[in-house]
Amino acid sequence: MAHLSSALVEDYLRTRKIPSTACSGCGLGINHKVVIQAISELDLKTSDIIWGTAIGCAGRQTFGTWKGDGFAGTHGRVYAIARGLRIALPPEKKIVLTVGDGDAFGIGLLHLIHAARSNAGITVIVMDNLGYQSTGGQFGFTTPQGAKTDSSPYGMFEHNLMSEGMDVMDILKSAGATFLARHTATDALAAVESVKKALSNDGFSLVHMPYPCPTNFASRHLGSRSAVNIFRWMQEHSAPRGQEKPDTIWANGVYYDARGSRPEMSEHVWESVGKIRRTGAL
Amino acid sequence: MKRFLETGNFAITEGAILAGCRFFCGYPITPATELAEAMSMRLPQVGGVYLQAEDECAAMHLCIGASLGGMKSMTATSGPGFILYADPYGWALGCETPMVVMNSGRVGPVSGITGAPGQGEFYLTRYPTQGGNYETITLAPNSAQESMKIIVEAFYLSERLRMPVTVLGDQLLTDGMEDISVPENDEEMKEMGFRVWPRSYHKGPDFYPSVDSLDIPPVQMGYNTGALCSDWTPTIEGYDIEEVEEHHRHAYRLIYKVRNNRQLFSELYEKKFMDDDPDLVVVSFGTPSRVVNTAVDRARSEGLKVGALRLINLWPFPDQLFTRKTKYLSVELNWDGQLVREIQRAVPKDATVNFLGTCGDLPTIPDLIENFDKILKNQPLERKGWVLEAW
Repeated sequence: MAHLSSALVEDYLRTRKIPSTACSGCGLGINHKVVIQAISELDLKTSDIIWGTAIGCAGRQTFGTWKGDGFAGTHGRVYAIARGLRIALPPEKKIVLTVGDGDAFGIGLLHLIHAARSNAGITVIVMDNLGYQSTGGQFGFTTPQGAKTDSSPYGMFEHNLMSEGMDVMDILKSAGATFLARHTATDALAAVESVKKALSNDGFSLVHMPYPCPTNFASRHLGSRSAVNIFRWMQEHSAPRGQEKPDTIWANGVYYDARGSRPEMSEHVWESVGKIRRTGAL
Repeated sequence: MKRFLETGNFAITEGAILAGCRFFCGYPITPATELAEAMSMRLPQVGGVYLQAEDECAAMHLCIGASLGGMKSMTATSGPGFILYADPYGWALGCETPMVVMNSGRVGPVSGITGAPGQGEFYLTRYPTQGGNYETITLAPNSAQESMKIIVEAFYLSERLRMPVTVLGDQLLTDGMEDISVPENDEEMKEMGFRVWPRSYHKGPDFYPSVDSLDIPPVQMGYNTGALCSDWTPTIEGYDIEEVEEHHRHAYRLIYKVRNNRQLFSELYEKKFMDDDPDLVVVSFGTPSRVVNTAVDRARSEGLKVGALRLINLWPFPDQLFTRKTKYLSVELNWDGQLVREIQRAVPKDATVNFLGTCGDLPTIPDLIENFDKILKNQPLERKGWVLEAW
């Protein structure tokens, strides 16, 4: 089983696109490695996974990196494309989506909720860089409360989707998701285990993976582009679930594990179609 | 051959199934709802899937996904839903993903009148998405029977040219009941002129070639060919690239694969008395053309030298049909005049172009003949209290 980045790249990624063009100190590479590590530990092959991405930092940096087949959707729509693809693909093929926080929890939230509702067999990895960073650094819907960004110069004062009682994890759980986890990039080892669970779920899984953006987020909110500084800041504001402190922003761990509790969308649809075709009724 | 007294929606459903469509994703909207309903009934019977999406934007994206996975796919809507296709339509054009889109026109703007026919999306079907640098194909049948054939043809063109194709109808076409014959085997399909092109997949690695040639299989997911497709400008292999030269290569193909293969659809039109030296050519498409055709027949019998040109292939616009230096009249189901602008652009310099619009209802035959007569006598057109400008 490979752990070295160079070995993982050789097995699963395209050297044309790796290393990516991400900024110096960006945490995306850690999260990307977490996902590839989990795939490697599950002994999956490149032909087993169709890799979809969205736009923004997370989409652009991961598109075309997977050695197998890959696609990218426009902003927020990749969940709808993936549902259609899920219907057409054989059930043994897995769909992994690496998307950003704006994509998943902003423009694409409606489609994401319907992907969860139908329990479509998709693993969504939300690479959360704390806002809209590829457009220069505006706040998103999981940007920490109070954060100063280019579009919240006085601090982000609206409620975000990690506020008490309105966590996006709760929304997705109520919508029908069957596996949900959150891990910051500073919690990579535990994240690998959660991504493995997500990939092994025959249904809708989402792993929310906030990571540091030194270039835009840190320079505005923390006053420094030092990568060490923002990694340390994220580390200080994360805690394992159940051990949160008053200043914890991110509680890391599995939020919901109901793998196998509901039929997967495409299997359910094809089974229903088969029955109608044979008997004329459900 | 089986005969039915049924709606245009029924004919479109059967046509799509004959063309090999096995995935339909829709969203209820008058007057396209019955098409979604018919698909939800029929597709499972032939081993296909009907899904209902959260909105039209998602519906067309689901069709993209199913098409990427190898299924011939279709969606249908009316104007307010068609505008939500803007996002996926662009994606499907750029990634060259085949599928068929049906738009049953109602009266706009915005939600307008739901249960009455309109032709307000003539230009929208030419420019269904942002950014330019593409060519689109739009076909407009005028009867239930013809809509079955045109849907089959739309699938055929979408596969051969690997792109979405729009079929533009209206509420009367899709909701109206007519005598419909459905072919029951390949031979009958051939007899009726139905052409079907099978789906295959591109083996790579040159997924986005820089030529305008036909019959390049679409990019498909799941065959482990290393296929890539995205909303960005692609290199030949499908990698995203921000380079104007690469973009020019890509845009050139999107435009000229259609323009250089017009012979595939340029015969899709109908003419009446056009070889009999008409002094007035009446141009229309969709259901108004049925009234126009009758009015032109009657006008001829009354001695007026009129001819009719009924467009089925709307986009790319058939400029080659407008070479005659004469008078033209565009009859449309809108009051702002859309088709008329394109006719005005296409006709020779000395030709005159007039416009007659109705909305929510078809023009009447006496009305049309009265207007033919006025145009032939160089009198201004008047209707219901206001003067319509001569274009």
